[in-house]
Amino acid sequence: MLAYLIRRILITIPLALGVVFVVTVSFDLIPGDPAALILGEFATPQAIAELRTSLGLDRSLPARYVSYVGDILRGDLGLSIRERRAVTAILAETFPFTVQLALAAIALVLAVGIPLGLLAARRPGSWVDNLIRVVSLAGLSMPVFWTGIVFMVIFSVNLRWFPVSGSGTWRHLVLPAVTLALPSIAVVARMTRSTVLEVLIEDYVRTARAKGVGERTLLIKHTLRNALIPVVTVLGLQLGQMLGGAVLTETVFAWPGVGRLTVFAIFNRDFVLMQGLVLVLALVYVFVNLLVDLSYGVIDPRVRYA
Amino acid sequence: MKTRAWTALLCAALLAAGAAFAQKTLTIVRPSDPVALDPHLETTAPGSWVYTQILEPLITVNQDMEIEGRLATSWEFVDASRLRFTLRQGVTFHDGTPFNAEAVKFTWDRAISSDPPGRWRSLASAVQGAEIVDEYTVDIVASQPFGPLLLVAAMPYTAIVSPTAVEAMGSDAFTRAPVGTGPFKFVEWRANDRIVLEANDDYWRGRPALDRIVFRTVPEEGARMLSLRTGEADMVLMPTPSDLPALDADPNFIVEGAPGVGIFYLAFNLDREAVADVRVRQAVAHAIDRELIVDAILEGGGVLARSVIGEPVFGFKDMELLERYPFDPERARALLVDAGFTRGADGWMRDAAGNVLTLQALPSNGRSLKDREIAEALQEFLRQVGIAVELDFFEWATTFTLMRGATLDYDLNSFTWFTTTADADYTMFSNYVSTELPPASWNRWRYANAQVDEWLKAARASLDPAERAALYGQVQDQLAIDLPAIPLYGSYEVAALSTRVTGYRAHPIQYILDLFPVDVR
Repeated sequence: MLAYLIRRILITIPLALGVVFVVTVSFDLIPGDPAALILGEFATPQAIAELRTSLGLDRSLPARYVSYVGDILRGDLGLSIRERRAVTAILAETFPFTVQLALAAIALVLAVGIPLGLLAARRPGSWVDNLIRVVSLAGLSMPVFWTGIVFMVIFSVNLRWFPVSGSGTWRHLVLPAVTLALPSIAVVARMTRSTVLEVLIEDYVRTARAKGVGERTLLIKHTLRNALIPVVTVLGLQLGQMLGGAVLTETVFAWPGVGRLTVFAIFNRDFVLMQGLVLVLALVYVFVNLLVDLSYGVIDPRVRYA
Repeated sequence: MKTRAWTALLCAALLAAGAAFAQKTLTIVRPSDPVALDPHLETTAPGSWVYTQILEPLITVNQDMEIEGRLATSWEFVDASRLRFTLRQGVTFHDGTPFNAEAVKFTWDRAISSDPPGRWRSLASAVQGAEIVDEYTVDIVASQPFGPLLLVAAMPYTAIVSPTAVEAMGSDAFTRAPVGTGPFKFVEWRANDRIVLEANDDYWRGRPALDRIVFRTVPEEGARMLSLRTGEADMVLMPTPSDLPALDADPNFIVEGAPGVGIFYLAFNLDREAVADVRVRQAVAHAIDRELIVDAILEGGGVLARSVIGEPVFGFKDMELLERYPFDPERARALLVDAGFTRGADGWMRDAAGNVLTLQALPSNGRSLKDREIAEALQEFLRQVGIAVELDFFEWATTFTLMRGATLDYDLNSFTWFTTTADADYTMFSNYVSTELPPASWNRWRYANAQVDEWLKAARASLDPAERAALYGQVQDQLAIDLPAIPLYGSYEVAALSTRVTGYRAHPIQYILDLFPVDVR
């Protein structure tokens, strides 16, 4: 188990170097000069050249990569090209917002998605099942920027329950969390339904039923646990995605998270900020996946780590 | 006795709570967060909207485009390259530092000769810096006789910073928490979320009516407009044009705007054979219904452009483009036939070798209001007269890099140019003098007219406003004949406000937001 953990953690090092390399190269390939963008439309080429030198943009690609990796090893993610602030400070400011939104959304997914899936699986083909399937299909199909605006019109403008946008109080969190959770709820509900149905036809379920186990116990204790592994895998992917920054949800609700920061970094060609972002996001993904893998052992005692 | 003390305390607490409740806060929403709050690093309007509350220049231009004193009480030209300012006495920065000639020199030196220099340095053109005459007299000096000096010194970028604060905090930290002499003081900046300012009790023009200003960043335009309707915001900067008529009709809201100093152009690249013939350019001008573009596409978000510079700009003269080049597709076709093209049965204009007249275009995309829609409309207008247009849409960073190139492999491009200093020189010199070529400068049309060069150089060196205005007028008349560019629409600086807000006037210069006279009910 310990050896497994150490191996999983060591594997992140080449992965991190790889993603940083990809970002460095891709920002070098796309046109657009960060110095020219900073100085605006009316700057002279001389001013742009001076800024390029002072930002270190005139160095070669390998030189920039090597010095950046050196900085990372010292725990320094560099200075944002556009803002002239430490990338670590920017991330420390932004990441808590994304974590808050992602955790709230994933809690909703757990609290709503799994029960809905179970409810649908209990009587496959019934009107309840059909209703849940149709609603979840709708939830999956509606784009976030549209549901976001619809929620705003209903709950902020008409009912005045929640603020339109921004952050600060729990009331600010409700609409973005629901908007972000909606497609994931749909995915998880459909996933739970289908895996539960698969397990329900297993022999041991029939045996349990024959022994006289009640339907509720049967569904939650005997079936759900065995059906959970694929659901947890999907949940892990969803959480990883949410922690990577929900660009659209954050934009619609003016939520100051990582997604908007990513868009800012790309449009301003701020590759130092982008390198720091992908580095942290890659580590988050690895960590979430590790958690998912470890949870398999908890859910199913037969799973061994070697 | 004890009871009375408690009662007194309770009353005091209630009064304090009442005062806190009665705080007058103005909440403003706009699409993006600033880069910095100090012109040293900031070149975008969302930043200057904040720092124009905190930092003040020596002089400024008001909404009627008249010069007004701020930290200077009077000013006069010593000679054509030297402008002398008498400074206001008894003003202190928010950190208690006294304002004097030292602070002026510090600010200009920091912008022009520090390493790296301030990001607005290239906008200052021939200006070299400040020289102290005595504690309350300072000269702003140019390297050559420079008529636009007065308006350059009135740019919001030249706002004076507290030297002690810059030295204590370091230049980079200062740009995120600036200290100036303005009516409002910096309180906090939560990145991508909000910036809070509070009234400066000791402001030299008197305490402002507002207690606090909150600038919120709301990137989604629908959400911006909704927050005005729910009362979460009192003011929306850069509102959605299509929403304005409905807001204007609603008694709870005010739409306040002013024609700006930006002009959106269709620009020709005169180095390219396809548009080198003036008759082709004239045909394009006749083929475009500019009024329809303004009415149907911009929906009130822009005004019909009357010249290559905006109406509030010093030196503006109406180029009478509607009279010279009325919308007339028939006339456009005749001009093309005159230029040697033949109209085929399919409607396309072909040259002697049988090739369809095709123009490669690099349109502005996602940078100016409705630029993409306008490019598509132009393509259709030109198709009607037999000219094919191929549009290359890229995101802005790419388009911008291509536009600035030493060679431009396009016949047409489009973009908005702001005459930031509100002096014609700023646009005319860099755009139309024949030697001001990209990438060093901005003559993107590769326009060359010796007479125009002479007029523009004379206008730059003169201090006589009447003489300068006459010279710029002549240039604009010549540009209407040579037609290196067709101005399409002028910027309209507009804000949507709740009727709670009083005293707000839109400013033609996008960078200036005047909140000192503003109050909320």
